[in-house]
Amino acid sequence: MTALSTVDRAIQEDIKEFIAREALAVDERRFRDWLDFLAEDITYDVPLRVVREGLAEWELSPTGRIFQDNKQTLEVRVRRLETDFAWAEQPPSRTRHYVTNVLIDDSDKAGEYEVTSYCLIYRSRGDSIEPNFVSVFRKDLVRRVGDSYQIARRWAAIDQAIINAHNLSIFI
Amino acid sequence: MTTHFENPNMEARLREIRDGIDQGRFPAYVFNNQEIFDLEQEKLFGQAWTFLAHESEIPKPGDYVTRYIGNNNMIVARDEHGEIHANLNMCRHRGNMMCKSEMGNASHFRCSYHGWVYKNSGELIGVPYLAEGYEGKLKRKDWGLVKARIDTYEGLVFGTFNQDASSLEDYLGGFQFYLDLYLKQGPSGSEVHGPPDHWITETDWKIAAENFAGDGYHTPVAHQFGFNLGYFPSSGATHSQGWAASIPGKGHGIGLGHTPGFTPFAGFPEELTAEIKKSLSPDQVEVFSNTRTAVGTVFPNLSFLMQPFSLIPGETGVRFVTMRLYHPIGPGKCEMYSWCLVPKDASDEYKNAAYQAYTLTFAQAGTFEQDDLENWARLTRMAKSSAAKGIEFPYLMGMETERDEHFRGPGHVVKPYVNDSNFRNLWGRWADYLLGEA
Repeated sequence: MTALSTVDRAIQEDIKEFIAREALAVDERRFRDWLDFLAEDITYDVPLRVVREGLAEWELSPTGRIFQDNKQTLEVRVRRLETDFAWAEQPPSRTRHYVTNVLIDDSDKAGEYEVTSYCLIYRSRGDSIEPNFVSVFRKDLVRRVGDSYQIARRWAAIDQAIINAHNLSIFI
Repeated sequence: MTTHFENPNMEARLREIRDGIDQGRFPAYVFNNQEIFDLEQEKLFGQAWTFLAHESEIPKPGDYVTRYIGNNNMIVARDEHGEIHANLNMCRHRGNMMCKSEMGNASHFRCSYHGWVYKNSGELIGVPYLAEGYEGKLKRKDWGLVKARIDTYEGLVFGTFNQDASSLEDYLGGFQFYLDLYLKQGPSGSEVHGPPDHWITETDWKIAAENFAGDGYHTPVAHQFGFNLGYFPSSGATHSQGWAASIPGKGHGIGLGHTPGFTPFAGFPEELTAEIKKSLSPDQVEVFSNTRTAVGTVFPNLSFLMQPFSLIPGETGVRFVTMRLYHPIGPGKCEMYSWCLVPKDASDEYKNAAYQAYTLTFAQAGTFEQDDLENWARLTRMAKSSAAKGIEFPYLMGMETERDEHFRGPGHVVKPYVNDSNFRNLWGRWADYLLGEA
């Protein structure tokens, strides 16, 4: 598709800023704030990637998920992180979500936009000199709400089939 | 079987370990040690039955997955007659790895090097320039893929290269009674919900195998959030209650956690509970009716867990089953495989709810899993410390406890749930294998 987006440039700028602020909330571990970036009806999915032959029907499992979350389950994760005994995040991971290649298109519904992006997550743990790198392709649905936006869908496919992190106690 | 040890001190060390286990002691260093790892590869994973796949992962003719026996990559495939085979994923001509995908469907496998072609059963059927090149000297029937023995129980496919190993039935030795809780979730049994999640962790496989052999002791601390926030239906005050069951001399063990006043099979939909009860024996129904959490390990490295988890604090929530395999890839390092097993006959609504409870708690982004791996990776790291070389851990819980004679399941069964009895049996079996005396 070589045609440029028909979405108003000012709206695109706003959505890019919104996405960057969302990443900042996660990376600053303001998880309660982060939940406000997410719509009440959000679907938050990270499918399992399976190493397949080139002609296989799918590489991203239609049923298998690393995350299969909604607002309620994300709140469970956040409530847990707010305790003193979420051991996987004691001491906390230092993350940086580098979001690039953001493309914004109209969806079928007015006020909702299909937003794709590349996201490289750098994660440093404790005294380890070996960070985790998680490279991700995201397909979000971003909804206009009042003066700002909310994410109504996050779908994120991790490029690596076997992820070089002992756990994923972070958000994608 | 006579055993030759390259390091002459090793046999003496293993005998010392073996004796220590019965006295409630086990050394720290074995959880991250090259020599132990090498011995395990040869004497344990080269000899025992190990898990390959669940039959529901390869339901149709031609379906295959690639898995491991020890460090051997295997093609586990269902042939055109429906029979399952496990063959080494290595061309017999020059040894190329033939199948490079984790799963798929194929009637044949063709090597991309010189083009030898095998049926999915492992039979060699195609050799380029057979007449021109081999001048009749090569008989195709002599050069099929290297085949492992396989055997199954209720959908679980196990394999071994050990031609002398006794049957899987004998190997499981009565542990089937407990496995049925996970595998007979209704008349059609259980099935995988999608492919396994797998990832690499700096954790020794033995730590995970022990934990899942019934470590109810760690739960209130390692998974404290679940208790404190009310997502997990147990309380610190009663969490020690329940049973530890192990099959003496076989290594398998299961912890059965009990919550007083808990509705039997709570967390399953009612109609499913009725079906499950029909699939089980009266003794099994009695035992499992008292079970909130069932966490067990099939020796050496296959584990299961069934427990409820609730999104609403204080409620029972949804009961789910996870099956996991700890594939050792180095000392202190393993590849974790994690599946969710759901009842084949259940509604899609329940299957989805169970899968959601599973992803939220287990597999690599699961909250319980995150905490376990954080602890296990640190434990593994410390096990390699030079000062750890001479230290042992206490495995003293329940040393004097008599078998619970009222319990209606097989094996050595003791109360309470918080117990080291299963682990002494597990490590005893492990030492027997390493000594060549299994």
